[in-house]
Amino acid sequence: MASFLSLLLALAAAPLYPGIILKVKAFFAGKKGPPLLIKYYTLWKLLQKGSVYSTSTTFVFKLGPVVSFAAAVLPLLFFPFAGNASLFSFHGDVVLMLYVMGMGRFFTVVAALDTASPFEGMGCAREVFFSTLAELTLFAILILFYRLSGSLSMSSFFSEGNTLTLAGASGALIVLVIVALFMVLLTENSRVPVDDPATHLELTMIHEVMILDHSGPDLALIELGAFYKLFFYAAFIIQLLCPFSLPLSLLNIIFFFILLALVYTAVGVIESIMARFKMNLVPKFILTSFVLGFFAVILTMGVLQ
Amino acid sequence: MLELIFLLPFAAGIAAFILPTVLGRVLLLATAIGHLTLGVLGWTGRLTPLFEHFFGASPEGLLILMVTSFIFTCIAIYAFSYAKESELGAERVFSGCMLFFLGTMSMVTVAEHPIVLWIAIEATTLVSAPLIYVHRSQRALEATWKYVLICSVGIALALLGSFFVTLALDMVELHEPLSFALLNSLATQLDPIWLKVGFSFIVIGFGTKMGLAPMHTWLPDAHSEAPSPASALLSGALLNCAFLGIYKAHILMVNAGLGEFSGNLLVVFGLASMVVGGIFIYKQSDYKRMLAYSSIENMGIIAVGVGVGGVGLYGAFIHLIHHSLIKSSLFLSAGNILLAFGTKRVEQVQGLIRSMPKTFVSFLAGFVGIAGLPPFGLFVSEFLIIVAAVRGHWYLSVAIFVLALVLVVAGAGRVVMGMSFNEGDAPSGTGEKFVRLAPAYVLLLASVTLCVWMPESIYTTILHSIQAIGGFHG
Amino acid sequence: MINFLEVILVLILLTVLLSLGSTRLVALVRIMALQGVLVSLTPLLLKGHGLASLGAVAFYVAMLAIKGVLIPAMLIRAVKSVSIQREIEPFVGYHASILMGLIFLLSAVFMTNSLHLSLPEGRALILICAVTTMATGLFLMLARKKAITQVIGYLMLENGIYLIGNALSQHHSLYIVEFGVLLDLLVAVMVMGIILTNINHAFDDVDTTLLGQLKD
Repeated sequence: MASFLSLLLALAAAPLYPGIILKVKAFFAGKKGPPLLIKYYTLWKLLQKGSVYSTSTTFVFKLGPVVSFAAAVLPLLFFPFAGNASLFSFHGDVVLMLYVMGMGRFFTVVAALDTASPFEGMGCAREVFFSTLAELTLFAILILFYRLSGSLSMSSFFSEGNTLTLAGASGALIVLVIVALFMVLLTENSRVPVDDPATHLELTMIHEVMILDHSGPDLALIELGAFYKLFFYAAFIIQLLCPFSLPLSLLNIIFFFILLALVYTAVGVIESIMARFKMNLVPKFILTSFVLGFFAVILTMGVLQ
Repeated sequence: MLELIFLLPFAAGIAAFILPTVLGRVLLLATAIGHLTLGVLGWTGRLTPLFEHFFGASPEGLLILMVTSFIFTCIAIYAFSYAKESELGAERVFSGCMLFFLGTMSMVTVAEHPIVLWIAIEATTLVSAPLIYVHRSQRALEATWKYVLICSVGIALALLGSFFVTLALDMVELHEPLSFALLNSLATQLDPIWLKVGFSFIVIGFGTKMGLAPMHTWLPDAHSEAPSPASALLSGALLNCAFLGIYKAHILMVNAGLGEFSGNLLVVFGLASMVVGGIFIYKQSDYKRMLAYSSIENMGIIAVGVGVGGVGLYGAFIHLIHHSLIKSSLFLSAGNILLAFGTKRVEQVQGLIRSMPKTFVSFLAGFVGIAGLPPFGLFVSEFLIIVAAVRGHWYLSVAIFVLALVLVVAGAGRVVMGMSFNEGDAPSGTGEKFVRLAPAYVLLLASVTLCVWMPESIYTTILHSIQAIGGFHG
Repeated sequence: MINFLEVILVLILLTVLLSLGSTRLVALVRIMALQGVLVSLTPLLLKGHGLASLGAVAFYVAMLAIKGVLIPAMLIRAVKSVSIQREIEPFVGYHASILMGLIFLLSAVFMTNSLHLSLPEGRALILICAVTTMATGLFLMLARKKAITQVIGYLMLENGIYLIGNALSQHHSLYIVEFGVLLDLLVAVMVMGIILTNINHAFDDVDTTLLGQLKD
């Protein structure tokens, strides 16, 4: 029951949180900013519209948004929100999640290439390159979690008895993981300093340039998928932060969703105080996150078992 | 109050920064004499340390203190005239830092606590850096930067080594104030792994400061770019202080039964330094750099002497004394030549025998001394070290040792003979002067005297110094 | 209960890694300031190293001030005065440097595990952390060209040594000695800063590759 509830809540609330980022950025700029529910309005607006398809595109172009949306929702089904058991879980589901997300990215990229626009090809190349690097980090973290918990399933990472949190026995290592994961979050979700979602020049875009040709409901699906993806990473980080062991599961869930705002606020703060990197510095950034993850793995070989 | 030995130069140094430059020169000389007096008092055991946890009079320390003090007095006389004629830009800084330098070196010699010893040695680097930069040229800047950076890193490693040694002490679970005496008394109980690691770092660290190859790279630059009085002090006194750090660690190793390990390490580093010194002297075209490489070579000889032990130990200490006297005399003579010719290039200095006969005599005599020929003491010491090495069956080392010595004599001989006897233009700079000649002669004379007649007290002090690691028969 | 000592040590490793990857000198100095603070805090979190006496309190406050504020402030001033903000072409590139950090940590762990050193209980992580920090400091001095970065490398080396000295060994009765070490460090950075400014005046840059006139 709690699992269903938290999943539904997650699906419904995911578009809310990006509004927090916008609010934080507006606060730093000394502005009032858009309303918190802005993303819901945008989605609603997009769904009202019709789609426009270029005559040179094929069915692949239409497939892209649908598959990438599905690939963003699917991992949430395996996610144990606030320590509640997830809907599905089996040994190795984390690996499946990562590959499902990879598949979503693949279809986004293929759809973008289908338009035959040179800009989109450029964006694809960047996106794929950076994501490949980020995958290294994720797998380093998985290796670490496997060493610490002896399992490869999301719900067993965070089930009771396991201590993959800051307060646990290997809390020090989790510090490294949280930092690394946050860096991956910024990379995978095209946030500053890796990519600037608000930029207006195709040449400097990474993710945005790939979806330039989508419109209407297709664009809405892509946007919603992006919200879910960001939500997934943010939830992952929050799960590592504290164990959610309050007696009532409802309380846990509320606590969880409040803490989530923290991650989004952090993203907003970073977007406000940092400029985006030059394109050639991005690999260094991702590599740093990988090494952080690997640092943690190395330390498990030594003393912090 | 033993601490006066370094407090006096410190106080004088501060005063030199405030007083007018002319008074500063007088102060340099006055402090030198005062320091020598205090040194003699300390030598005779009339000074007791106030903070006996940190300071104390060890025989090897006293020996180096006396050498330092004597050389400094001669250099102070020399600097009196040198500073005036070479028109040093920042003479206050020069005088002040010379005094601080003396103070920190004295502190090294009386330190009884490993970390205090480290603090003092690091301080010598910091206060002598301005001395190298006195001429304010780009080359001097480069030399200073290398000196500070390389030595700081090296000495930082020595700190690491010292910490490892204290860590070995921690394992014994004993809570008494740390000192060399305590370490030596507990030596056999200490963890040998930590001691070995610690000693290796100490040799690398203080070895950098002492100029052991391959960590010597700062030394030729610093010694050639510094004004001659400072070079003489760097070479004649500072290197000894770094050696003292290594020697004290070596005593501990011998007491812990690890003398073979530390001895071998010292021999390897020593031979490497000798070879490097020999090779670079052979192709040298800058006479101050040549002297610097000769210092590297001589420090190598001392390290080998300590490493092989036995009579070699005695030889090493004799070598240390004579090298300091002769090398500082050579640097002072080189300073005279530099003042006269205005260049450090060998090929531009010619006909010393005619144009500067008195400097020629001191320079040539210095060369004879440093080459290890009688009547100077280096002959005796090198002979003793070779004897000890043969006794210990270090045949390969002896071969390398002798080869390096030959290389040095050949290389340095070529340079010195060329400068002395070739035909050439007379110098255009400042001529010879009694104040700048006498110190060089006095230093050489001291070396000859010690060779012919060694005072009983010096002899016994050397014996006390090496007794800790077995004396003649160790 | 969060193990603060381990967290701090891991954070030190984090600063080490960040320093290997940072191109901007000001950022590098800030990282060093953070590392200085973390390193100064370490002994306080060790068992039996509490603030036992007035001397201890004075010492730790002084150390925090010197490592965390005074030295970084001097470095920031140096960076400002030489008007160089980035290290563009280091000897070893940034990606390779970051991977080197990985290798340093790996070898530190390997060393600690395989040497079977006799260490007090629970101190192995400190040794790992210290060795990595020292290796990185030395590496920075060799791999970077700008004089300021080399000073920072030296500081990092000192931090690592300090971790070993102050955290591993228990001879803590003599704060005056520790203070002497700290003072030496401070003066060393000051002297290096002065030479640095002079290098900048003489060469219009603080690139140490310009310092190549003296050789045989």
